[in-house]
Amino acid sequence: MRRFTSIVFLLTSGLVAAQDRFAEKAAPFLQKYCHECHDEKESKGGIDVHTLTSTLGAYQQHQFLKSLASQVENRKMPPKDAEEHPSDDERKAAVSEIRAVLKSLEEGNFPRNPGRPTVRRLNRNEYNLTVRELFGIDFQAGREFPEDGAGGEGFDNVGDSLFVQPSLLEKYLSASKKVIESVYSSPERKSRVILMTPTEKLPPDKAARGVLTVQASLAFRRKVTDEELGPMLALFQKQLTAGASYEDALRLPLQSLLVHPSFLFRFEADQPGKTEWRISDFELASRLSYFLWASMPDRALFKLANDGKLSDPAVLRSEVLRMLADPKAEALSRYFGGQWLGFDELREVAEPDPKRFPTFTPGLRNAMYRESVEFFSNLVRANRPVLDLVSADYTFVNEELATHYGIPGVTGPAMRKVPLTDPNRGGVIGQASILTTTSMPLRTSPVKRGKWILNTLLGTPPPPPPPNAGVLPADDKSAAKLTFREQLEQHRKQPNCAGCHEKIDPLGFGLENFDAIGRWRSTDANGKPVDSMARLPGDITFSTPAELKKLLLGSDELFLRNIARKMLAYALGRPLEYYDEPVIVDLVKKLRQNDLKTQSLILSIVESHPFQNRSAKR
Amino acid sequence: MSNLNLNKWLLPRRSFLRGAGATLALPFLEAMSPLRAAGLSGGAFPVRIGLLYMPNGVRADRWTPDGDGSRFKLSSILSPLEKHREDLLIFTGLQNKASFTGDGHYVKTAGWLTGTTITKTTGSDINANGVSMDQVAAAQIGTSTKLPSLELGTEPITSGIDTNVNYTRLYGSHISWKTSTVPLPCEINPRVAFDRLFRAPSANAGKQASADKSVLDLVQSDAKRLQGKLGTADQQKLEQYLESIREVERRIEQEAATLGAGENLPAELLKQMDALDKRISKGMGKASREEELNSRPRFDHTEHCRIMTELMVLAFWSDSTRVASFMFGNDVTGRNFSFLEGVNGGHHEISHHSNDATKLAQYEKINRWHVEQYAGMLDRMSEIKEGDGSLLDHSMVLFGSPIRDGNAHDPKNVPVVLAGKANGGLRTGRHIVSDEGTPLCSLWLGMLEKAGVKSGSFGDAHSPLRNLG
Repeated sequence: MRRFTSIVFLLTSGLVAAQDRFAEKAAPFLQKYCHECHDEKESKGGIDVHTLTSTLGAYQQHQFLKSLASQVENRKMPPKDAEEHPSDDERKAAVSEIRAVLKSLEEGNFPRNPGRPTVRRLNRNEYNLTVRELFGIDFQAGREFPEDGAGGEGFDNVGDSLFVQPSLLEKYLSASKKVIESVYSSPERKSRVILMTPTEKLPPDKAARGVLTVQASLAFRRKVTDEELGPMLALFQKQLTAGASYEDALRLPLQSLLVHPSFLFRFEADQPGKTEWRISDFELASRLSYFLWASMPDRALFKLANDGKLSDPAVLRSEVLRMLADPKAEALSRYFGGQWLGFDELREVAEPDPKRFPTFTPGLRNAMYRESVEFFSNLVRANRPVLDLVSADYTFVNEELATHYGIPGVTGPAMRKVPLTDPNRGGVIGQASILTTTSMPLRTSPVKRGKWILNTLLGTPPPPPPPNAGVLPADDKSAAKLTFREQLEQHRKQPNCAGCHEKIDPLGFGLENFDAIGRWRSTDANGKPVDSMARLPGDITFSTPAELKKLLLGSDELFLRNIARKMLAYALGRPLEYYDEPVIVDLVKKLRQNDLKTQSLILSIVESHPFQNRSAKR
Repeated sequence: MSNLNLNKWLLPRRSFLRGAGATLALPFLEAMSPLRAAGLSGGAFPVRIGLLYMPNGVRADRWTPDGDGSRFKLSSILSPLEKHREDLLIFTGLQNKASFTGDGHYVKTAGWLTGTTITKTTGSDINANGVSMDQVAAAQIGTSTKLPSLELGTEPITSGIDTNVNYTRLYGSHISWKTSTVPLPCEINPRVAFDRLFRAPSANAGKQASADKSVLDLVQSDAKRLQGKLGTADQQKLEQYLESIREVERRIEQEAATLGAGENLPAELLKQMDALDKRISKGMGKASREEELNSRPRFDHTEHCRIMTELMVLAFWSDSTRVASFMFGNDVTGRNFSFLEGVNGGHHEISHHSNDATKLAQYEKINRWHVEQYAGMLDRMSEIKEGDGSLLDHSMVLFGSPIRDGNAHDPKNVPVVLAGKANGGLRTGRHIVSDEGTPLCSLWLGMLEKAGVKSGSFGDAHSPLRNLG
C-alpha cells in the first residue's frame, strides 16, 4: 500500500510539474537574474523570489507579481550595475508568463477553495454585545478584558490571533457572575431568562430542562445536545437537593453557559469525508450576525435557521436587508470601518499635544469618532455609493465639531447630518478623525497621510523604509525657519529615499491645509503660507484635497478592490489567501453593476462561495 | 449584584485599616493572606524575578558606564541609579542573535525574553517559537503562589498590522509567552490588577470557591468532549482554553488552602496596600471603584508607571507572585513625552533621532525618565525589610530594552541592568563587560539558575553567564 501511494504521489507530482508553465518558463528567469539580491536572505526592498518556483508559489506571492512584471518590462530590474542582463526576448517571455499567472488567478482557473477559518473566540466587542443580547443586561460585561490584537487583514476577529490566557479566563468567570447577578436582580430580566417555573403538572426538573434547553441553545447559537444538557441538569438537581429554590438552583447552570467553550468560541463543524461543504443554517446565522452586528443571531434568524430556510437565497437577501436596517448594524461601522480606515485609533492611540492643541478636548475626540461612525452607518443604511467615502457633499457634526470645521449654525451636542459647501471637507480624507490619527502629537505628517492613502484607502502599501532612513523633527516649529515641507524635501534628497517618497509625500502635501487635528489652515506653524502643491510621478499635479479626491475618483479600481478585500476579510474572520482573489474580482464586478451601492457589496459578500462554505483544508 | 461587587469586598478592610490599629488582626485579615514569606525566617526567602521593558532603545553614547568591574562610573542615563550602585549589575556586550533578522522592532521585542526568532506573520500563525524566561521560571517557582506570574503594562494591545514590515502589531505588545503560541497580555488597569492580587474573598468564600469549581468542572468536561471533534488548529485553541481552566482551578484551590491555613499579613504591608489602594483611586480620578474597574486608564503616565511598579513590589512582598514583568509601553509606542521638560514629541519618532543633537538630547531625557522610575522601584524594595535584609536583597529586578540605538534598531550590545542580590546569589556593584556577541540568553540562564529554576539551555545559550555570583 505504501509503495502504491508513493508511486501515485510521484506520478501526480510529475504531472503537475509537466503542466506547470510558470515553473518551466518564468522560474528559471527569476532564478538567473533576481535571486542574487532577492533571495530568502537578502530580500532587498522586501522582495523575495525564492518561493516563486511554481504556479502555486506565484499565486501565493501574487501581491507583488504586478510590480515584478512592470519592473522587468520597464528595465528597472535587474539594475544597471547587475552582472548579467536578460535579452529583450527573455524579458518579454518572463513578463508574459508572470502576467498569465496573474490573469489565471483573477479568473479563478485553479481548484477553488472556500477556506477554513480557525475557530473564533468572541472578541471583546462581540462578547459585550452578545452577552447584552443574550441576557438583556445593560452594561458591558467585558470592559475589564484586554484588547484583542489583529490578524490577517488587520481585524480583531481572526481566530488565529485570539487567545484564552488564564487571566482572561479568570475574567470570564468573574464577568459571568456579574451577569447572572444582574439578571437575578431584576424581575423583568429574570423572567425573560427563566421562562418556565414548576407547576403541579410541570416538575422542577422538567421546567429546568425547558429553561436550559432554550438558554443553552441561544448561548451556543445552535441546538443544545442532550449530552450537554445532562451535566447542567445534574448541577441544577444538586443545588435543588441541597435546599436551593428552583430559581437559585438554576444560577450555576446558567452561569456556566457564559464560560462554556460553545459560547466563547464559534465552532463550525467538520463534515468527515468531504473536501468542502455548505455550512449549516445555524452556522450561517452566526456568520451573518457577527459580520453585520458583531453579536449573536436574533430570534428571527434562529427561527429561520431552525426551519432550514435561512440558506434560501431570497430569504437570505431579505434577512441581510432587515439586519442592515437594525441599529445593531452600527457595529459594522465601528469595528469594520474603524479598524479598516483607522479611526478606531482615535479612541485610544492618537495623542495630540494638549498644550499645542488645547481645543482637542475629550468631547471633540468623541465627536470626531462619532462623525466617522455616523458617516459610515449612513453609507450602509441609506445604501450610498461606496465612493462617498472618497468624496461626499455631506457629513455629520455636532456643535463642537462644527466649530472645529468652521461650519456655522450647528448648536448642541447631538450629531446630525449637514450639507457641505466646501468641496475639500467631504469624504474620509477630510474627516478630522483620520487627519488626527495620521499626524504626530505636534505636527502633521505628509508621509503618514500619504501612506494612509496608499495603504489604507487603496491597498497598495509602500515598501518599508531602509533601517537607517532617519526621520524628521518631531515639531514643525523650525529654528531655521524652513517650512516643514522644505525640511521634508531636504530629507528626501537622499537617493535611496526618493524612489518611494516621491510617490508617498505628494499625496500628503496635498492635505497640508489640514492641520494636525484636522482644522483648515492657510499658514503653517511658522506663520508661512501652506504650500499644498503636489506633483506625483507622471506629472500629475494637484493642490487641494478636492483635486486629490477628483484624481482618486477618476481611477477607482484600486479603491474598490481594496474595500471589497477588506470587507471580505472582516466577514470571513480569517486571513485572505490567493484563492480569494477571484472572489474579490467578482465582488468589484458586481459592485459596479449595482452603481457601487454599499448594500450590494455586503449582499455579494454574504452570497459569495467562501461565506457560505467551508473546506477541510486551509 | 451586591455580593459580587469587588469594591464592596474591599470596603470592610479599607474602613478597618483607616479606623483601627493592628490589634484588630482578625479572621478577615488572616483570610485574605496568601503570605508565605511572612512566616519565613531570614535566608529562606524566595527569590523574585522582575523584568522591566523599555520600548524603543537607548541613546547609545549615554548608556554604557565608564570602567568595568567594581570600578565604574554610571553614565548620564543611568545616573538616577547612583543610590543603588552597590545593588547593580550592569551588562555590556550581550545580544540576542535570533533577533537580528526580521524587522527593527517586533522581532526584537516579542523575542526579548524567549531568545528565539518569532514567526513573521500578519496573524495567521503567531508563534514566538519559544517560551519566555519569566514563564519558564513561573512554571517552576510560581506554583505555590496566588499567581504563577504577573504581567503589567500601560498601553492596550496595539491593534492592526504594521504594513511597513508585515508583522501583526500584537507582537510589539507582548514580552511574556506562556507557550510558543500563547502570549500573555499585560494588565494595564491598576485597579483590576490590585483587585486581582489583593482582593479579599467575600464572607462566603468557601461556598464561592465550590460554586466556581462546579462551573469549571462542567465546562471542562464539555470542552474535552468537543476536542475530539475538531481539526488541529481548533484543537489547539481549545487546549489553550482547557489549560487556562486548569490554571484558574489551581488558583481557586490555592486560595482555599491559604484560607484554611490562616496565615497573616504584616501590618506594615496592609498599610502599604491601603495606601496604594487610595493612590490608585486618586490617580485614576474616577467617581467610583466600579468606574475604575471599567475604564481605560488614561492618566498621568509617570503616576501610572509608579503605581504599576508599586503593584509589583507589593505582589512580591506579599508573595502573591514571584515572577512579574512590566512594559513601560508597547514597542513602537508614539507616547507623547512632552510632559518632560525639554522634550517635544512622541517616543518612537524621537528615538529615530538621525543623530540630530536636539533629538538626541530629548531621547536621552526619555531614557533617563525610565531609569528614574526603575530607581524609584528599587528605592521601595530596599526599604522593605525581609528578615535580616530587604526585599531587594531577595530579588532580581531587570531593566532593559531589546535594541540599543533606536535610530538603527541595533540589536547588538543591548542595554540591560540587573538589581538585587537574589538571596546572595549575585555579587552586585559591578559593570560586567562580556565579549562582544555573548548571548543575552546566558544572562537569562544565569537568572533562572539563581532563582532555583532548572533549565539546561536557553535560546542560543548553553551555560549561564559566568561571573554573576
